[in-house]
Amino acid sequence: MARRFLTAEDVRRAGGPEVVVDEHTVVTPHALEAAQAAGIAIRTSSGGPWTASSSAPDRGPDAAGGAQRTAPLPEPPADPGVGTAAVVTAVGRNRPGVLSEITGAVAELGGNIHDVSQKVVEGYFQMVLVVELVEGRSFHDLKSALECMGGPDDYAVTVMHERVFRFMHRV
Amino acid sequence: MAPFTDREILETVRMIELETLDIRTTTLGINLLDCADPDLESTCEKVYAKIVHHAGGLVEVADSISTDLGIPIVNKRIAVTPIAWIAGPSGAEDLVPLARALDAAAKAVGVDFIGGFTAYVEKGFTRADKALFDSIPAALAATDHVCSSVALGSTRAGINMDAVSDFAQVVLDTAALTADEGGLGCAKLVCFCNAVQDNPFVAGAHIGAGEPETVVNVGVSGPGVVRSAIERLGPDADLLSVAEVVKRTAFKVTRMGELVGREAAQRLGTRFGIVDVSLAPTPAVGDSVSDILELIGVDRTGSPGTTAALALLTDAVKKGGAMASSSVGGLSGAFIPVSEDAGMIRAVQDGILSLAKLEAMTSVCSVGLDMVAVPGDTSAATLYGIIADEMAIGMVNQKTTAVRIIPVPGKGPGETVEWGGLLGTAIVQDPGRASCAVLHSRRGRVPAPLQGYKN
Repeated sequence: MARRFLTAEDVRRAGGPEVVVDEHTVVTPHALEAAQAAGIAIRTSSGGPWTASSSAPDRGPDAAGGAQRTAPLPEPPADPGVGTAAVVTAVGRNRPGVLSEITGAVAELGGNIHDVSQKVVEGYFQMVLVVELVEGRSFHDLKSALECMGGPDDYAVTVMHERVFRFMHRV
Repeated sequence: MAPFTDREILETVRMIELETLDIRTTTLGINLLDCADPDLESTCEKVYAKIVHHAGGLVEVADSISTDLGIPIVNKRIAVTPIAWIAGPSGAEDLVPLARALDAAAKAVGVDFIGGFTAYVEKGFTRADKALFDSIPAALAATDHVCSSVALGSTRAGINMDAVSDFAQVVLDTAALTADEGGLGCAKLVCFCNAVQDNPFVAGAHIGAGEPETVVNVGVSGPGVVRSAIERLGPDADLLSVAEVVKRTAFKVTRMGELVGREAAQRLGTRFGIVDVSLAPTPAVGDSVSDILELIGVDRTGSPGTTAALALLTDAVKKGGAMASSSVGGLSGAFIPVSEDAGMIRAVQDGILSLAKLEAMTSVCSVGLDMVAVPGDTSAATLYGIIADEMAIGMVNQKTTAVRIIPVPGKGPGETVEWGGLLGTAIVQDPGRASCAVLHSRRGRVPAPLQGYKN
């Protein structure tokens, strides 16, 4: 097994012009300092100088397999024809143009509305949109833009990923 | 597109927006066994480097999941191998430098807490275990983010009463060293019977033997969601209906935890371990386990019927969780941290929730005596007795029990101490005048009960 760590003490003991470490070796900050002070180069086995970003964390022998095998939960498949989808809900005071304001914003952000429902009770509306994002548009942009809309005396928008609803409501 | 009804969609949105449902913690477990070194300084160096190396991306990943899914993830934490296991080769007697290394790593990666300043001493001490016990008060006083836990007993091993005695003294010393903060160091210190080795919640988080190199464990909460569900059910529904609605709610909450756990594991390139579904109250309005018990039907938390109501609640949460995921673990159930639950604080204030009733409740909740304040001049023998009682409940009932108790320096029964934030406000409770001096002076172990012999 390759060396797990390179400490300052290891650097001092090595003494030579360079220390060669494995791809997954964790070089401590103290070791880097000690090497710099003594003019010792720390290189990876592939030849280049060691940097913190060149060493990926070694998550253990079964990490990759574990990730692939994690499927005990029957995640209901999304419609294969649909990409990333978001569920947008809005609640607030009803007024003319509120639906078009929100759906207009969705369209501008690259959202394709798959399902829409709206109810008005005693002057307040509640609206639910299921939105598919066209390729290249991000969920994050949609969420941050829509959640800024409305206001304390107007309406509030919430955007969540469709997977949350699948996990919570489907067996 | 999987069709959702408006009701389903609005239920989920309501849970998160109005009922404070959240992912309470995403905890990355990191095995530190390979950091053991004959030189303590090198051990500290390796511990710091390994944690920073592995957890460097944790906060970023948790925040990105929160953004991508639209659900809040409140805390990011790290759990490590019990430090006593890696301190051995150095032979060091003062392990505060290791606590400082953990604290520095926690600060470097931006997590809220790091758990694992831990020892297992159910049957006896190694030299490193002893060094860890002796270092706990100074370690907790010298650090901000480090949490400490010790395993004092189990159903298989019995209870190490010498360790219970030592732990009582550690609690008193920790309170004394953090006296200017109301003994706050003790809020980061807990002892266990039947300790859980994949617990993502602090103060008891650590990664035990048998856990992989790194693992992501997730803790979900949601007392507010359960509270609202029972409220909607009304007072006329029978108890089976109450259990059913708690179960269904716990199912949904657990599923959300599993989604986040899988996503976090995938993005960090490691394994998903467990989802711990625990009703963990916070001082926020409505986020209270006490409120749930009162909605189930007791006049006040602490009045007769409270233990039965809590038993129903804990069991229904576990069942809902077990149906939702094959990876339910940790402590899963209902927590009753007194100072963190506004309803419990009121019940103590009004003289309804006594220490004795709390102890009874711990025989059916998912952990134990949690965030309980006692007078600063409580004797070591009395603390020893309280801890031993709690360990005995866990040992005989084959369940996890814990004690997180704070002797508040300079305060007497009925006085208030404000810790602020999530730790809340406590009313100092009276442990009574009679103690257990002779029991305390006896040394040795309580042998394992018959229910421990299961081979």
